[in-house]
Amino acid sequence: MYFMASSEDYKKSIGYYKHVSLFWTDLLSLMSSRPHSLLSTGPLRKFGVNAKKVNTEMIEINQELAEFNARLSEYYKQLTDTWNEAQKQFNKKVPEIPTDTEHLDSTKRIWIDIFENYFTRLFDSPEFAENFGKMVSSELELAKHWNNIISLMMESANMPTKKEIDELYKELHLLRKRVAKLEKIASIGGSANGK
Amino acid sequence: MESELKIDPRIIEEFLQINKNILDAPKLVAAPDEISLEMTPYDVVYSEGKMRLLHFNSDKQKQVRTPLLIAYALINRYHILDIHPQKSWVRNMLDQGLDVYMIDWGTPTKMDRYLGFDDYVNSYMDNCVDFILNESSVEKVSLQGYCTGGTLATVYTALHPNKIKNLVLTAPVIDGSKDSTVVANLAKHMDVDKMVDVIGNMPPEFMYYVFSILKPFEQGLEKYVQFFKNIHNKEYVENFIRVEKWLSDTPPIPGELFREWVKNVYQENLLIRNQMNVAGKVVDLKNISMPVFTQVAVGDHLVSPECSMPIHYAVSTEDKTLRIYATGHVGMIASSFSQKRVLPELGQWLKERSEK
Repeated sequence: MYFMASSEDYKKSIGYYKHVSLFWTDLLSLMSSRPHSLLSTGPLRKFGVNAKKVNTEMIEINQELAEFNARLSEYYKQLTDTWNEAQKQFNKKVPEIPTDTEHLDSTKRIWIDIFENYFTRLFDSPEFAENFGKMVSSELELAKHWNNIISLMMESANMPTKKEIDELYKELHLLRKRVAKLEKIASIGGSANGK
Repeated sequence: MESELKIDPRIIEEFLQINKNILDAPKLVAAPDEISLEMTPYDVVYSEGKMRLLHFNSDKQKQVRTPLLIAYALINRYHILDIHPQKSWVRNMLDQGLDVYMIDWGTPTKMDRYLGFDDYVNSYMDNCVDFILNESSVEKVSLQGYCTGGTLATVYTALHPNKIKNLVLTAPVIDGSKDSTVVANLAKHMDVDKMVDVIGNMPPEFMYYVFSILKPFEQGLEKYVQFFKNIHNKEYVENFIRVEKWLSDTPPIPGELFREWVKNVYQENLLIRNQMNVAGKVVDLKNISMPVFTQVAVGDHLVSPECSMPIHYAVSTEDKTLRIYATGHVGMIASSFSQKRVLPELGQWLKERSEK
């Protein structure tokens, strides 16, 4: 609960920081007639414009980090709690570690079985899958912002962005399909004509 | 004050022996990178994009004319079906007089992210089947699908039933709602759209994570302890390294295919309800009217038997066989057990239903 509350506070303060940062960046830009445009020309002018977008992405990364950290903490908590419960169960079953080789082997087997059961139960639970799914989702959000930053850099350098390359892949994929279809039609036509 | 800790000297001896084995290991075992997983010789008879169609060579007399096409899974590579001469699925089928082809899906790159079920089933698989029909001068082939390859084989057969003589499904992923494995649990809670939109193909790292939580203590710890304990057992370590190498060879899965697979099979469960759509056509499992042989393993922790078995009841054929084996997902295809039980039964079943 305490963690959730502090995570909420963190989100609020980041949100406030984002608002203040954007407010002053925009206002100063308007007030000074976009000073970066005076200082920069050509591709660098584009970078000057994109710099604000990079700033926004960075702030949003911080917002996402709060969510990711909360999910990651929950993930480790689930693992630690399960480990402790399994260890308790093991201690109950084997109060004293044997010192002869035969019993030590069977003790190891008991340890593995207990831990395997407890952890499989955890990984099979909807609580684990839900938190894990959200953790991966927040990681993907971070990756998305990172991709956006890289794309802005690429755009500033007048190079193709990820989005543009994806469009190319899609176009290529559709073209391949069309060619395959046409080849099939041509081969049917070819054999029908006795060629 | 004197305290005495009584420890069996054999424990210390065993501990020292394992330490010695660890030091000796590099002298006794080849590094995974130094070995090749290629076993039974084959010819690449057809290829399209990254996909290759392999035709295995055999010196055995063919007993049936109907060739067997194996659609391997989307996870890891086909080598597990030919991992060791004494445990090879492919070699066993060849020795039983069958003509064996296999689809190697290859390693998709970012360029392949838009490949979906339509491309895999209606292009890759259909072109492979057409090629074999032409090569072998037969009208139909026997099709076997393993794991997610079973899902593809099921979809293919439902869409192209006139080209399939017999359908063999080995641990197929069919009814996601009934799958009780960790894999299904994670798949049901995954934001697959976001994953594909942000990173494109499903990365191997994600699969490694899933594998690592399947049996973390048995597979992550005990397996390696046993490896070092048995370091002087040549056959054991050779097989161990081969399987380990196979496990670590995980190609990415094309983004669109992964999206369709997770949604249609695990999240919305459309395949078993005859509501899955591929290139505008409904995949109706009732179209599967040829003989069907389904193989499941009770100890399967990747695809639970409850997930595979519904296909046995969903198809329209009268000639159907369901076999439940007391083994695991890999044990069913690459073990001494599969050589003694699973393969002889399958070979017999196929020979009885193939063109002579």
